[in-house]
Formats: sequence, C-alpha cells, structure tokens
Amino acid sequence: MSKKEIITGIIVLLIISMTSGCLLSWVYGATKPRIDEQKKIEAARINREIFPEGAKFSDTITENGMTYVEVYSADGGLAGRVFDVTSAGYGGPVAVKIGIDGELRIKGVRILSHTETPGLGSKISDIGFLDQFKDKFGNTLCLKKDSAEGTVDAITGATISSRAVADGIKKLQEKLSRAEK
Amino acid sequence: MKKLIDLKSFSLGLWKENPVFYLMLGLCPLLAVSASLKDALGMGAAFIFVLTGANITVSIIRRWVPAHIRIPVFIIVIATFVTIVDYSMAAFLPPLHRSLGVYLPLMVVNCIILGRAEAFASKNNIVNSALDGLGMGLGFTLAILAIAVLRELPGQGTVFGIRVLGKSYTPFLIMIMPPGAFLVIGFLIALKNSMGRRKNKC
Repeated sequence: MSKKEIITGIIVLLIISMTSGCLLSWVYGATKPRIDEQKKIEAARINREIFPEGAKFSDTITENGMTYVEVYSADGGLAGRVFDVTSAGYGGPVAVKIGIDGELRIKGVRILSHTETPGLGSKISDIGFLDQFKDKFGNTLCLKKDSAEGTVDAITGATISSRAVADGIKKLQEKLSRAEK
Repeated sequence: MKKLIDLKSFSLGLWKENPVFYLMLGLCPLLAVSASLKDALGMGAAFIFVLTGANITVSIIRRWVPAHIRIPVFIIVIATFVTIVDYSMAAFLPPLHRSLGVYLPLMVVNCIILGRAEAFASKNNIVNSALDGLGMGLGFTLAILAIAVLRELPGQGTVFGIRVLGKSYTPFLIMIMPPGAFLVIGFLIALKNSMGRRKNKC
C-alpha cells in the first residue's frame, strides 16, 4: 500500500467520522430533553400506581445508600415511601420500584427497567406476579421453591429473574427494619 | 450494466432473495425479537429505516471511499443510523424501546445491513440502492412478522397481545424460547423451497 493510499484513507475516515459525530450530537441534543421527560413521566406514573391515594410526591431523596421518594396523603401526613432498588437479574440489572407504607409493609412493586429474556424473564413486569409481594414480610417474600416459608410463585422458565425481584424486596425490607430499631 | 431505475432491486428482497429465507442472514435479531408481534413490528420498522438510509449513504459516498477502508466506513454509516433510531425510539416510543432492549443497538453489526452495503449499495446508483434497502427491509419485516405470529400464537395464545385462544389453552412454552424460533424458521424455509423449487438442482 502506497503512502498516498494510506493518507487518502485516513482523510476519508476522518471526514466520515466527523460528519457522523456532528449529526449524532445534534440528534442527541434534540432528543435528550424528551428522553429525560419520558423517564420522569414513567417514574411518576409508577409512583402513582403504587400509591393511588398519594396527594403529593417529594423529589428524589438519597440517604444511607437508599434512593426514594416520599409520598404524602391528602391531609399532609407521610403515607409512605417509594424506593428505587437495583438487583442482579439473569440478563443484567433489574431496576425495581418498591412502595413501602408507614408500617414497613410492601404497598406495591413495579419494574422500572430490565434486560431479561423477552417473553420469559420479561414477565417479571406482569402485575399478577408483582402483586404477590403485597403486604408481605420477611421470609414469606421468598420464592416457594427457595424456602419452606416462601409464598411467591416464580414465573415458569424464569426462576432467576423472579428471584432477583424477590431478593431486592426482601433485602430492602430487612435494611429498613434494621434502621428502625 | 443495470438500468437507472430497476424495480427488480426492490422486488427481489421481498420474496425470491428474501434476506432471511434465501440469504439466511441476520438471524440473531430474528431469533431474539420474534417472540411477540409488537416487538417484531418495531424491529422491522427500525430495520427498514436503517437499511434504506445506510444503502443510500453508502451509494452516495461509494466513489470516494478507497476499497481498503470501506468496511470501517460502512460500519460508521450504519452505526450512525442505528443510533438515530435508538435515540428517537427512546424519546417517542419508550415502551417499544424498553422491550427491544439491547437488540436495537446490536443492529450495527447485523449482517443483512453490512451485507447489502457491501454487495449492493457500493456497486449501484442511489435509486437502486434505496429500492434494494426498502425491498430487503420489507422482506425482513415480513419474515419476522411471519415468525412472530407462529411463535406468539402457540407460545402465548395471543396475537398482538390480544388473547385469541381461550383461557384454558396451555401455552406451548418452547415456541417463545429461542429453539422455537429455530423450529419456525426451519419450517418456513422448507415451505419456501418447496414452493419455488430452484430449476438447476445440484
């Protein structure tokens, strides 16, 4: 390969990468506000789904390594909190939002994002699966197949994904009850 | 020499040289995203956009790109289009973006797109390259939709998420797992081959 060929190659690659970079930075700038907004809308929608009676939601608070939103009822009292928890699933991190009321009971659980197998692990987002965690405590939050006390049915073909969700919830509750003592 | 506008470049990809059933390319997203019709449709649309865009761009720049750096150039072009789709989908269709997950960015290394850039767009004019991109893209979309119907219906008892088989129906789980996709693809290829039996058999 002659010197000239190498130099033309470098110049062509440079021009194309720069054009592509400029184009993408423009697309990024144009879509960024909307993407952030969509994420916020999604998070707010989930908060309301877990606490339908919540009148006011605080901004995100980070404290003791926990991230949460405080929920106030119509009379201004603290109704509970919605925590953001990440646990390790089958295909990567699973981001779970967990609503906890004043007595540390599980108020509701929703999946914010995950990369589980489509059609199998992705079913952790199903309401039927998530509603099993409601009002439960301690070891009853385990999968039936993991513990004699467990009361949660795992999703067929997606035990690891189901366990990730159950573990995340159980660990959060344990952490909170320790903090309370 | 090919005609200036050759409609054949469009129609070949649809059926006769369908990227999936004839060229047998790009099977990875096909296996991964064909478990439900909604995801398949989204993937197909993204595919048509990226393939057409990349084909047109490659065809425009084909005379200036020296042969020895063409592959990195093609990859940059394809990655640019894929990233545009990725951002736009995250901004405007977040549920679809969530369910396609990692398979959307993985389109960068999809061999149908790179294959068409190399085999067609780098040798043909802009109009024909655009037609080829559209045809191959539609061919892929039809293939992924056909596979998705045949997987979602037995595997979940639903079509586009709507239940068509009664509640008593026990889902045929293997159909929504990757082996199900292989089975369906195999049967569909057998069907296509038996319909359009090639004249010169080996």
